[in-house]
Amino acid sequence: MTRPIIGAPTTRDGYLCMADRPWRQAWPDARHLPTRWCHSRDLGRRIDAWLAWLAPRPHGRWLLLDPDPITFTAALLALWESGQSALLPGDDRPATLARLMPLVVGRLPAEPSPEDTQDLSARDSLATTQRETDRNSAGATVVAADSEAAEKEAVVLCTSGSTGQPSLEPKCFRQLDEELERHAALWPLAQTAVVCQVSHQHIYGLLAGILAPLCHGAPFCGDDSRFPEVMAQRVSEATSVGLDACLVASPAQLSRLPQHLALHHQRIARVLCSGAPLSRDDAIRCERLLDSPVIEIYGSTETGGIAHRRQSSGDLWTPFPGVELDLNDSALKLRSPFLARPEQWWDQADRVERQGEGFRLLGRRDRLAKIGGKRVSLTALEQRLCQHEVVQDARCVDLDLRDGRLGVVLAVAGDALPQQHEARKRLISTLREHLASEHEPSAIPRYWRFVESLPLNPQGKHDHATLRRFFDDLDDDRLPRWLGAVDVDDEQRITLEVPERLRYLEGHFEGFALVPGVVLVQWAIHHARERYPALCAFRGVDRLKFQKVLRPGQRLTLTLKRRTDGIAFSFDSPKGRHAGGRVRLEARHD
Amino acid sequence: MNQSVPLSLDLKHMIIDTLELEDVTPEDIDDHAPLFGEGLGLDSIDALELGLALQKRYGVTLDAEAEDTRRHFASLAALQALVEERRVN
Repeated sequence: MTRPIIGAPTTRDGYLCMADRPWRQAWPDARHLPTRWCHSRDLGRRIDAWLAWLAPRPHGRWLLLDPDPITFTAALLALWESGQSALLPGDDRPATLARLMPLVVGRLPAEPSPEDTQDLSARDSLATTQRETDRNSAGATVVAADSEAAEKEAVVLCTSGSTGQPSLEPKCFRQLDEELERHAALWPLAQTAVVCQVSHQHIYGLLAGILAPLCHGAPFCGDDSRFPEVMAQRVSEATSVGLDACLVASPAQLSRLPQHLALHHQRIARVLCSGAPLSRDDAIRCERLLDSPVIEIYGSTETGGIAHRRQSSGDLWTPFPGVELDLNDSALKLRSPFLARPEQWWDQADRVERQGEGFRLLGRRDRLAKIGGKRVSLTALEQRLCQHEVVQDARCVDLDLRDGRLGVVLAVAGDALPQQHEARKRLISTLREHLASEHEPSAIPRYWRFVESLPLNPQGKHDHATLRRFFDDLDDDRLPRWLGAVDVDDEQRITLEVPERLRYLEGHFEGFALVPGVVLVQWAIHHARERYPALCAFRGVDRLKFQKVLRPGQRLTLTLKRRTDGIAFSFDSPKGRHAGGRVRLEARHD
Repeated sequence: MNQSVPLSLDLKHMIIDTLELEDVTPEDIDDHAPLFGEGLGLDSIDALELGLALQKRYGVTLDAEAEDTRRHFASLAALQALVEERRVN
């Protein structure tokens, strides 16, 4: 057996752990940055306002959802100082909140309004208030100073589980501290300001965008910084007061970084990137545009950070210090101080390949896709789609397109199959709305294919290649959408749809898009060669008739019949026959 | 770019092509309907893509004020006003 890989030990510098409550320290050398920035020195007053608001209220776990890093941080720290914890939803859809509300004592409002506090105090009995106040002042002395306190729940994060059920991940102070300490050793933040482009409602944004700068007394900002132009502005604000910037980003942003931001004049100490692997080209391009190392972090909500890499130096991942990896199998196992149970081996649903002292990621073992860096359960999407009355079966497909968007193949009852553009658009919009109540916009499939039944491969499975076939028109805008084929007697019937973005639609009649007849002949030949591979050289067309115009979005059937000298073809839809004829094709005699 | 195509139609084609909106035709995009959330249903990743496309096609750069960007991206008409004001090509 090959020995496990263990990351090297670390030291720390200019860093206070959370038990030292760095946000209550007087950090020297605080620079004056615009109000959008958050600095420890501005937090004390806000935390105290929250403490006063919380004091007369129930004690426990509160739901906290706030895109502004300043108000979010103040509320979170007040919860911690009063010995309570925060549940951080990833979004504010009513279905998400309804599911989470039973798990918390309440939802924190946008502001700790003093009027609210007075009303409540007046109503409550003095005894209750006194008891709460006592407990809060006792809790305020420690966040995680002893080992018992270190194991207390600090936050609960939300993510997608592979079964389709959303999962909740509690993190104790020890887990957060362990990871922050490793971050501090690898990427110290002295003389640095953090510009965060990702949500702090998730583990990576919380650690790298909020807690790491807090522990270094470094200023940080977020929210609007996710826009590239705003990010560039914040970076230049940091540079102008003599600080280096650390950019906390994701592949969604770095792969779409505009050329014109002119950030190479700014001082960016490093760019962290997490959520999904960044392509090598994007990594190299960003290093050039930002004149800074781009360091990717591989991890998950459950495990925290696992490994990191800089692609300009190589594509292998190096484990975090203290993280122990077992790569003997192609499935990754790890032990990590960032896990809830550091002594136990954790099965990570990623396939890996060991390479020297590092490893390569080969993809996931389960049905989770990453879109815009966020985990999306294909199973959950399918389950939700199947709850709609029109849908009989659904299969989501990770298409591996540049935009990362999903495709979905849906089996619907025969009379619900959309035959034309308007009907198709209406059905897609209905199903999008149906998904939107439970899923974030980016998780909603972009490419929809409607069929009578989902195809199975010869092993009786919905395999990726069989399903991917439905999306071939995305790779070639000269092709019709292929929606399945059946052999009936001596004919083959192929269901097709005219893509709205077919290359040939425009330029025939002003404002009236249609498929030119010659394209139909081309499609007949294309599919004939696929069905009858021996047919090759074109020899001519006979009895050609174009009977009805064919417009974008129309669903139709191509019928092919083998003849001795080629094929007979016809294109039919509920509107009638669009075209028909014969094509002479020479058969190859192998 | 074809100068005879009105800007509004050109923008609709840009949106459809950039975001691969296969079920949407230019006629489906209402000049005043919201592009994000309800309406066309675009999201934050689409906003980044559109920002890049505007720069590439018209040389339009966006401000460092997120509020302005939200306003410019509110509808096709708003996007058209932005391009008319700032286009360099």
